[in-house]
Amino acid sequence: MNQWEVFVMDMAELAEGKDLELSIRTLNPGVHKYTYKHVKCQVSSNPEKLPDRLQVRMGRGQLSPARFSIKVIEEIQRMPAKYA
Amino acid sequence: MSKISAPRSNREFIEACVKAGDAVRIKQEVDWENEAGAIVRRACELGAAAPFMEKIKDYPGFSYFGAPLSTYRRMAISLGMDPASSLPEIGKEYLKRTNSEPIAPVVVDRKDAPCKENILLGKDVDLCRLPVPLVHDGDGGRYVGTWHAVVTKHPVRGDVNWGMYRQMMFDSRTMSGAVFPFSDLGKTLSDYYLPRGESCPFATAIGLSPLAAMAACAPSPIPEPELVGMLSGEPARLVKCETNDLEVPADAEIIIEGEICPDYKVEEGPFGEYTGYRTSPRDFRVTFRVNCITYRNNATMTISNMGVPQDEGQLLRSFSLGLELEKLLRSQGIPVTGVYMHPRSTHHMMIVGVKPTYSGIAQQIAQLAFGSKLGPWFHMVMVVDDQTDIYNWDEVYHAFCTRCHPENGIHIYRNTTGTPLYPFATPHERKYSIGSKVLFDCLWPVDWDKTNDVPTLVSFKHVYPKDIQERVLANWTAYGYPQAK
Ligand SMILES: Cc1cc2nc3c(=O)[nH]c(=O)nc-3n(C[C@H](O)[C@H](O)[C@H](O)COP(=O)(O)O)c2cc1C
Repeated sequence: MNQWEVFVMDMAELAEGKDLELSIRTLNPGVHKYTYKHVKCQVSSNPEKLPDRLQVRMGRGQLSPARFSIKVIEEIQRMPAKYA
Repeated sequence: MSKISAPRSNREFIEACVKAGDAVRIKQEVDWENEAGAIVRRACELGAAAPFMEKIKDYPGFSYFGAPLSTYRRMAISLGMDPASSLPEIGKEYLKRTNSEPIAPVVVDRKDAPCKENILLGKDVDLCRLPVPLVHDGDGGRYVGTWHAVVTKHPVRGDVNWGMYRQMMFDSRTMSGAVFPFSDLGKTLSDYYLPRGESCPFATAIGLSPLAAMAACAPSPIPEPELVGMLSGEPARLVKCETNDLEVPADAEIIIEGEICPDYKVEEGPFGEYTGYRTSPRDFRVTFRVNCITYRNNATMTISNMGVPQDEGQLLRSFSLGLELEKLLRSQGIPVTGVYMHPRSTHHMMIVGVKPTYSGIAQQIAQLAFGSKLGPWFHMVMVVDDQTDIYNWDEVYHAFCTRCHPENGIHIYRNTTGTPLYPFATPHERKYSIGSKVLFDCLWPVDWDKTNDVPTLVSFKHVYPKDIQERVLANWTAYGYPQAK
């Protein structure tokens, strides 16, 4: 099970039951902690429903008490291939 | 110029600080996640010695040096001066050196450049191999660049720029940073690279000599490699990058080479800022793709932790913004007696002392200050007369509260250049860097009769004859008072 974190300005950005595109950062321990991936995913406000855990921070870094779960469907590469 | 013996590298600086009691060696292991940041923050808030953290969790062989220039003592050490030098003495020395002849840098062979001791290229490039700290809990990411220089060059004019623009690690090979459009790099990007869709080569140098770092965040028009030479009295030692044509400080601890992407942006922030808040919104900002990392053996990463006063963001920027404005005002022949920003104003208030020899002099000062390259970084100018000690906040505050006419003395300038960092700015103003400014004119109007209209300052220094003052001072303890400081 992986742990992720996302920044949102508004909880409505975490709509349930549909595919979302989010930049999420890993909270898994180790040297890569806090690095981001841009992903297609689904989220649920039930922290147990989907395979990975997701916590949420608001616009100025405040940690939300709400806990979510997340299913990462795929990583989306926004970066032009020339920089790979 | 007389011989200057300033520390030539971050290592020499740490040694000089430890020797003077202005840095402590922390031997126990420190976590890169919050703990190191919290130590630096507390040291800043206490005005304590700089922490040199020799053992970092997960990163054997690396160390941190925090709060490098957050006290005037360390600023004096960085200039090779007596740590006990007063602020006006340090300011005078800065002005003397930066008004001297430019000293061109020298390019050294890579075998003489310690920053080349380890080189990561290709698949080995991973920012997570460096002990990038999570500086404040809740920041948008781990910040690679908090006390550093981003080196770039204008491809046509050839101007070299070293700027301290914060850089967040987005992933193992990508950073994003707050490069504002009015900064030198921001202008090079919008002038050349963005319209052409070409990527801009950059190199980030971390763990610089303190004077190189000072140059990178000084708002001086002198190119930074020359400015470092002028500040240190000898040529800066540079070395060519591995993957582009830029030249970087040879003695830096860590160099990150790459390209700024004109067509790709990732999110940056939020981040604890010099204002003492996390203000600027998380946004898609200038994005840096990393192609190579080089570093010294046992490299030391430098950390500035910005927040409430006092850190180098406030101390050093107040210092250099004030002195650069003083140079500008003098170059225009304005009879200023000094310019100072109290660091606890988080470099928001410029205090200018002037001989009020003609009408409108305060407005002229404010217009020059706000209209200059320095202008976006502060929004208040307070002009006091030459009798007011600009370094003494009690005197300045008294002048402000008593001489600034609520209608005639306060002048507001609208729709100026701002930054997203101003805590008082509206969300719209932050998003578009829209500013507004205010002048507090604390001068007696020139058209008031000096004898009958201008109030007389009632103070020990001003109302008593000299002989009485001397008698009272001489007898002070005899009257039964302890000796006053
Ligand atoms: C610790 C520290 C962090 C800074 N971070 C930024 C930043 O993220 N963006 C920015 O535009 N200026 C930042 N500054 C201010 C610039 O370093 C400063 O304006 C410098 O003169 C470079 O600006 P220029 O490109 O206009 O010459 C920072 C200064 C300090 C001391």
